[in-house]
Amino acid sequence: MTSARRAAAEAWAFRARVEQEAALRFDQLAAIVAGFDPGSPVPAMMRGAADDERRHTELCAGLAEGLGSPVALDPGAELPPIAPRSLSARQAALYEVVAACCITETESMATLTTLLAGEPEPEVREVLHEISRDEVVHARIGWAHLSRESVAAEVAFLGPLVPGMLAGTIDPGLFGPPPPDEDPEGLLRLGVLPLAKKREVFLGTLEQVVFPGLERFGVDAGPAREWLARAGTPG
Amino acid sequence: MQFKKLFQVLVLGGAVIGASAGCTQANAQEKGKKPAADAGTTGSSGGGVKGW
Repeated sequence: MTSARRAAAEAWAFRARVEQEAALRFDQLAAIVAGFDPGSPVPAMMRGAADDERRHTELCAGLAEGLGSPVALDPGAELPPIAPRSLSARQAALYEVVAACCITETESMATLTTLLAGEPEPEVREVLHEISRDEVVHARIGWAHLSRESVAAEVAFLGPLVPGMLAGTIDPGLFGPPPPDEDPEGLLRLGVLPLAKKREVFLGTLEQVVFPGLERFGVDAGPAREWLARAGTPG
Repeated sequence: MQFKKLFQVLVLGGAVIGASAGCTQANAQEKGKKPAADAGTTGSSGGGVKGW
């Protein structure tokens, strides 16, 4: 097996697990948000997103298996809470929506757009295209909820907490060197960004989409910018 | 990568959706509420969500 095929198999298997977790998260958050904002369109969108993510799980697992990495998903998987314990239930829901949608789904959308701008193999392109159609909505869910909460509740508390969200999102090796056997062209054909491109997309999305978006709704992105400056500095 | 387009489609598009339905109930308690002093500074500082 080539290095690109092996790395892509692992990436798609990882994505299958990520999508499975996302389905659970959307189901949980839909019930919570409906409890304090019954007029919001967000809970219904989240329930639809959960169904999307279950479909994405199968798509990603199918590609992983085709590349030689069968995925064993745990049907009883549970989702640990990620919000600080000091937050109220409503604040914790906002924390989780911002981490999952405003950051992670927005970053995923940038990754998908970049991959689709290249020349992935036809089967990979089909999956990327189907997933990207849904991920647009999933990212918007986060910005829709943050915009509503910025009117109804206090959202400034999120500012100092965004670095924790970012630290929990990235791979430990994002700011390090690529693997010595990395095959950038092979990876792109199989739907995976080479490390340097991944870093470029991650940083560009934070600086030009996520941080301005947070600031638009009253969340100070200063602490996140400081965290990013430290995280991206070697040594 | 057209980040400007992503901002418009995702951030501004999301805000339009958020504003399109009935106004969310202003919650006076939440509006004035600050998280506990240890938010973000202890072992319970919170985490993130892995993605692609």
